[in-house]
Amino acid sequence: MDQKNSIRILVLDDEPIVCKRLQPALEKKGYEVETFIRSEEALRRFVEHPFEIVITDLKMKGIDGMQFLSEVKKIAPDTKVIVITGFATMETAKESFRQGVFDFLAKPFKIGEILEGIQKAEIKIRERRGETAPSAN
Amino acid sequence: MIKPSSKTIRFLNRTRKSISFRKLMASPRVSFTILFETFQKILTLNNRILELIAGMGDKLSGDYIFDHHYIDTICQEAADLVHQLIIGLNALSFGKYNDLMAAFHRINDDIKQELQGKPVIPKGDDTIFYDFLNRDSEEMVGAKNANLAEVKHALGLTIPNGFAVTTRAFFSFMHYNRLWDRLDPIFNAFHHEEMTSEEASAQIQEWIRGAKIPSSLKKTVHRSLQQLSKVLGSRSPYLAIRSSAWGEDTQASFAGQYHTFLNEPADNLLKCYQKVIESTFSSSAMEYRRQKGFSENEVAMSVGCQAMVNAKASGVLYTVDPMAPHEDVMLITAAWGLGAPLVEGRAQADHYRISRRSPYKRHDESIACKAERLSLKDTGGTEYIKVPEDQARQACLTDAQLLKLAETGLQIEAHFKTPQDIEFAVDHEERLYILQARPLNIKINRSIMARELPDIVCKYPVIFHGKGFIAQRGIGAGKVFIIDQDEDLDQFPQGAILVAKHTSPRFAKVIRKTNGILTDVGSPTGHMATIAREFRVPTIVNMQNATQLLKQGQEITVDAEENKVYEGTIKELLTYSMTEEPIEETYEYRLLKRVLKKIGLLNLLDPTAKNFIPSACQTFHDITRFVHEKAVEELIHREYDHHHDTNTTTGKLKLALPLDLILIDIADGLAKGVKHTILPEHILSLPMHAFVEGLIRPGAWSTEPMSVDLGSFMSSMTRTFSTGLSAPENIGRNMAVISKPYAHIGLRLGYHFTMIDSYIDENWNSNYAYFRFLGGVTEADKRSRRAQLLANILVQNDFRVEVRGDLVVARIKKLSTEIMQTKLHLLGVLVAFSRQLDVQMLSDQHIQLYTDTFNQLMRGSA
Repeated sequence: MDQKNSIRILVLDDEPIVCKRLQPALEKKGYEVETFIRSEEALRRFVEHPFEIVITDLKMKGIDGMQFLSEVKKIAPDTKVIVITGFATMETAKESFRQGVFDFLAKPFKIGEILEGIQKAEIKIRERRGETAPSAN
Repeated sequence: MIKPSSKTIRFLNRTRKSISFRKLMASPRVSFTILFETFQKILTLNNRILELIAGMGDKLSGDYIFDHHYIDTICQEAADLVHQLIIGLNALSFGKYNDLMAAFHRINDDIKQELQGKPVIPKGDDTIFYDFLNRDSEEMVGAKNANLAEVKHALGLTIPNGFAVTTRAFFSFMHYNRLWDRLDPIFNAFHHEEMTSEEASAQIQEWIRGAKIPSSLKKTVHRSLQQLSKVLGSRSPYLAIRSSAWGEDTQASFAGQYHTFLNEPADNLLKCYQKVIESTFSSSAMEYRRQKGFSENEVAMSVGCQAMVNAKASGVLYTVDPMAPHEDVMLITAAWGLGAPLVEGRAQADHYRISRRSPYKRHDESIACKAERLSLKDTGGTEYIKVPEDQARQACLTDAQLLKLAETGLQIEAHFKTPQDIEFAVDHEERLYILQARPLNIKINRSIMARELPDIVCKYPVIFHGKGFIAQRGIGAGKVFIIDQDEDLDQFPQGAILVAKHTSPRFAKVIRKTNGILTDVGSPTGHMATIAREFRVPTIVNMQNATQLLKQGQEITVDAEENKVYEGTIKELLTYSMTEEPIEETYEYRLLKRVLKKIGLLNLLDPTAKNFIPSACQTFHDITRFVHEKAVEELIHREYDHHHDTNTTTGKLKLALPLDLILIDIADGLAKGVKHTILPEHILSLPMHAFVEGLIRPGAWSTEPMSVDLGSFMSSMTRTFSTGLSAPENIGRNMAVISKPYAHIGLRLGYHFTMIDSYIDENWNSNYAYFRFLGGVTEADKRSRRAQLLANILVQNDFRVEVRGDLVVARIKKLSTEIMQTKLHLLGVLVAFSRQLDVQMLSDQHIQLYTDTFNQLMRGSA
């Protein structure tokens, strides 16, 4: 896949295992992936070079997920944010969607489930760019 | 914005109602209705626990992303539910089973300890012979010993005779000398960098040198040595003594970190043992662990004691060239004598690059002048000896040996699903020994490779896409081998893709040679799938026409992750998948597996056994099982044996079938005046009546045992089936609680449980039927075809069905009185029909066969 056309995804989760498992699964689909276990570093990187898609945990030390995603939305309103959390409640889901989150998944989730959300986000992103989305396989 | 996924909603909607047992703590004279309410609460908890266990098992499949937080919360949830369950049973029985709490705390403390990262000391012996080990024994004997034993068991390869001194022995050594207490502050200081690894190591090693081996351990080791001597036919054998620590020879190799002793007289074993333990805490090992993210609490050393192989030649085989993983070649290095100098990189050696494909063409070879070899000294230990000049320039492996090695290497790789670093030796009788097999680390930039993959893969023609069900994920490539008859199996070539019409347990015979399996018909929960999963062979079943579309000998790549089959071999895809870190190697996977042993395993199988007691409960599942059994017993005891509540009628149902069923009528479920002996026509309860009619439908309850080809079935399985298939027809008593519109039926047939709960009256909206079946199989992955058969039939009959392992749950609701009664009738027939089918379900084909038989039975006149 051509570098300038590829979709960049930032994964932020304070548990390394989530990053470790998500990274290869997403890369295999042709996405460019960077992972972070500290929200401060993720935010610094995002400021430096925004991503099209952000996958973030909610409950973290320092800047928590809610704060992080609102910062992301401030910098790049078009970035699609997918929240993954092990503390899913109706309230956190509602709050996330109020913040403009694209999708919300309770952990644990199936790899296929998150890919579904990402592919939907990709279609939106490519539409905006005026490209035709690659067939979601 | 899209809506939250259905999964999220499911999660959010999950009620976490806490069940209260307040009402029941009343006097023993409490009414049966209230008791039954308690009983139902116990059942609800019981179901939630079983579903929770099944859900935890699902997470190990590799399809899920889960984290430590999940493991913490799910264990907490399990503990809460089991705790409530025990309170429930004690409420029901007025405190008869208070000692269950002790069992609960004992198990829960172990789980908590695991969660805190302090592995629980494995239970078992201080020494175990290789014959009794396999790769699941890693906790007990470390990966090196476990892998070696696996190579022998699963692949039938030759390894040195010997035994392992277990990690349990290590812990008793450490405890006996009170070493942990002394080590903790040192670990702490080392961790906070207040102490260098040299300082920490020097202190710890000094203490270990001064420590004493507990006398019980000495005795055990001595006994094992005697046994080994007998096997070897030598009074004082010489041994190789090798480290096998936790974590060693996994993805982290720890290569060369710990001590190895070669050709030691048996008398030196304990001395060497202590030295290996000492090397556990060498400064380099401590540094290595720090870098690799192992905590010092994760340290445990097992030691392998093996008969010394008098090697004529030795060497190392890499099944993939780590410098050129795409090139499809393996590397073999070999030298005369023992392999130690070669492994340490101190010796001249012959080098070969050999194709990974049959007939294993040699790409390169260089024969070195091997002027010296390491040999065994007669008095023990080793020495370098000059090699005669003519022999020095000779290749030390024959062509036949190279061929055999190549095949063996790929076999081991296929079994462990990752490139291998294998140490081998050939003795003077030309026998090939495997001395060690561990994952080979390959340094490639996976990120770049991954992103290039879609472009590479799209160049290959797709033969199948999205057809069939994935039974085991993974990537495999090879030549198509279509099987028409079982005899074809003998010709099955190493590394082929097995293509067949039906799945069959006989395929187990060639599963180790198979790179992938495709079938026209089959179910992803059948036994075939179980075997494929066990050996992690990429498998897609139910592809409808694989045997027609694929040609014998055609090269294909099976992508059982994307559910695709490509024409040709996509090397890049293979390399990528082979270098993927298996999920089994992650800490969280290991942890989940460890806690599941304390939660999900079922050991208490037989309620009539002497050890069916609270103190014998080893897992939450055991407690759950125990509580269910006793709750049923309690109700029967109170109402049938000692009729406490005069408002209920209780009696035994008289049937022509060998089924002991006690009916407890709460309100108007039986004809007036009936007592003790109940005939089907006395039953007024709508659901119970329909169910019993189904049960006694002619032909449903087969008394003729159908032909059972158990012997061939068992021998085709690769691991032993541990449950008692010879379950008695009827252990204990079965019970139903009924009223006019209601029935709760609990049946125990063999080791299988069936539970039906149904309400039927004129108001459609409140009508429902709930059916639950649980096989009594101990391991979650031994999924039963019977479960699949039940599911098929129930789905056909409009039930909403969930199958998880061998737990089948089916629900149906809000139908008219008449239709609901036909459903209960069907359940009756189904219970009778499937009662003893599992031993006859020889292959996945039988699922369809018996589904058809059942349908015929239902169509036939009653």
